[in-house]
Amino acid sequence: MKILIIDDEERFLHSTQKLLKRKGYDVETASSGEKGLDLLLEKNIDVVILDVKMPGIGGMETLKRIKRQHPTVEVIMLTGHGTAEYAVDALMWGASDFLIKPISVSEMIGKVEVSFARRLVLENKIRAARDIEKDRHPESKQPINNESRKDK
Amino acid sequence: MKQENPDKTMRKTILSSMILIPMIPFMLVIFIGYFYSKISIENRTVESMQRIVEDHRQMIDTFLRERRTNLQFIINTHSFETLNTSRNLEFVYHNLRTISNAFVDLGVFNEDGLHVAYHGPYQLEGKVYKDEPWFKEVMETGVHISDVFLGFRDYPHFIIAIKKKENDRSWILRATIDTHIFNTMVGRIRIGDTGEAYIINKQGLFQTQPRTGRDILEPDPARSTYLRPHEGVKTYTSVRDFGWFLGQPDAVQNDHLVATTWLKEKPWLLVARQEKQDAFSGLRAFMYIVGLIAVIGSAAIVFVAFNQTGRLLQRIRDVSGEKASLKSQLIHATRLAELGQMAAGFAHEINNPLQIIRSEQALMDFILAEMKEKKEITNEQSLEELEDSMRQMIIQVERCASITQAILKFGRHTEPQIEDIDLHLFIPEITGTISNKAGVLGISVKQMIDDETPHVRGDKGQLQQVLLNLFNNAIHAIEDRHGSHGGKLTVSVKPADNASVEIAVQDNGTGISQENIEKIFSPFFTTKQPGKGTGLGLSVCYGIVEGLKGTMDVSSQVGQGTTFTVRLPASENGKG
Repeated sequence: MKILIIDDEERFLHSTQKLLKRKGYDVETASSGEKGLDLLLEKNIDVVILDVKMPGIGGMETLKRIKRQHPTVEVIMLTGHGTAEYAVDALMWGASDFLIKPISVSEMIGKVEVSFARRLVLENKIRAARDIEKDRHPESKQPINNESRKDK
Repeated sequence: MKQENPDKTMRKTILSSMILIPMIPFMLVIFIGYFYSKISIENRTVESMQRIVEDHRQMIDTFLRERRTNLQFIINTHSFETLNTSRNLEFVYHNLRTISNAFVDLGVFNEDGLHVAYHGPYQLEGKVYKDEPWFKEVMETGVHISDVFLGFRDYPHFIIAIKKKENDRSWILRATIDTHIFNTMVGRIRIGDTGEAYIINKQGLFQTQPRTGRDILEPDPARSTYLRPHEGVKTYTSVRDFGWFLGQPDAVQNDHLVATTWLKEKPWLLVARQEKQDAFSGLRAFMYIVGLIAVIGSAAIVFVAFNQTGRLLQRIRDVSGEKASLKSQLIHATRLAELGQMAAGFAHEINNPLQIIRSEQALMDFILAEMKEKKEITNEQSLEELEDSMRQMIIQVERCASITQAILKFGRHTEPQIEDIDLHLFIPEITGTISNKAGVLGISVKQMIDDETPHVRGDKGQLQQVLLNLFNNAIHAIEDRHGSHGGKLTVSVKPADNASVEIAVQDNGTGISQENIEKIFSPFFTTKQPGKGTGLGLSVCYGIVEGLKGTMDVSSQVGQGTTFTVRLPASENGKG
């Protein structure tokens, strides 16, 4: 499982990455939405932890772009600006959870695990759907085969 | 004191305009009315005087003409020879006296002025009158009425003389008129109390005696005023008789209304005069009435002005008082809203560093656990203290987080979902959620919902938050005072003024001191121990109720209990 944390607080990125790595997670960090989107293209990310209020394109816009470009990537919003409006918006745009700072790291890991499990379930469903497709039309090409493999 | 000054100025302004504005037209009407009535009364008085004087003149003229005609009749019916003896003359005189007793004597003169025959009280026979002015006059004009003169008898009198031409010879019949009778006749004029009449000749000498005591033949002191030729009756409205009563200063001031007319029979001026005070006594009465009306009217205006100004000022004070209290409420609400927004901004910013502390703590905790496992830390006591500190860090961050969450709730600007709420159903729903807690603490919860209560306009979620907050506060206050016995919590709902509904939450808890009650809705104000409350509950409630266009009040007495009153706008349709 590969986690990407996008937040403009460098120190938060630093210490959280260090802790999660020690706990055995593969963690990438990005200090802005743009950088995060670049990393998503480069690396095979499973779960994104995304801050809402950031300089640059901001959390909500980043969420929209992630969901557009990588629909199966799970995004957990984590923000100090916890209002109901933001939460509803974020969930509407496809975020899997909306957490309000400060949150304990273990709780955060719990949410990440849940999201990752959901992603696995979703991928399995997609794979199963593809297998059925393949059985019916064995001659047809599998255009998303490459990406599916890369997603793992 | 400062409050007094603008009040006084306003009072002055209102009072002066309330007095002056009606007073000016009122006084104008009074003055114009008075002025025209005065002219009219004066004119009537003068006209009436003119009429009396004209009548009087006609009477005097008639008297003189009749006396002249009497003599003319005698002279025409008798010859010189029949009258030149005193005896014959006496007979004629007595006949004459039966016609008019104004004749004092009768005399016959020849053309040389010799008094040929005389009958009367004096001894005038044989006297020669050739050089007397009246004789010359009668010889020339034929008929003559003389001015009053002293003559041989040295007593003021006047005569009527008529000349007759008989066989180239002229003779003259002359009669003296009784001065007393003439005087009485002229003087007998009825004009008020002070009216009098007299005659002056062309030289301004009195021909009759004025009632006010001047002698005949004395000059009239005021003659220069009215001794001038004119037709008909002429009036003078103000003639002062300076020097008339020397030594009587009061009388000197007497102003007179005077009417004069020239007689037809003789160039004598008939003068009638009356003291103005007397002449215009009607005017004076009228003046008193007008004055009385003016005084009463003015007094009424002033009274009404004072009265109304007092009331008006009271109204203004009431209204400005209301305005001031509304303004302070508004300022309070605005301040709360601003504070809420500001606090929300802070809370957001604080959450980020809190998260970092959290992460750092977790990292430290993890490292510590690792070191413990690898036995890198051997001091058990230090390890325990370190772990305790770690727990404290979590607790304190948690505490900060709960504060920021509360602040965010307080500053939240969500649009309320306004709908009609039936409090008959809604209130029991909410009391139901606290009934367990209340039951445990031995609090009896009472609901009194007026049947007439209409639906209210509000957001169910927000209203629930407000009421729960109030209930929880009440329960805390009751618990502090009574422990778990004898608590009472009453929710009463009833329709209130201005299409609103009043929800009162009353407890018999500890109560709130006067000092605290003023700050009760301020954010972060709490009487609870640190960590037990954020001090935001009531200020959030206040903000919510304001947002629902309602009001929130509190009244409390220490040791008696507290009542929070929420007023919400009633729905236009639907009754509860």
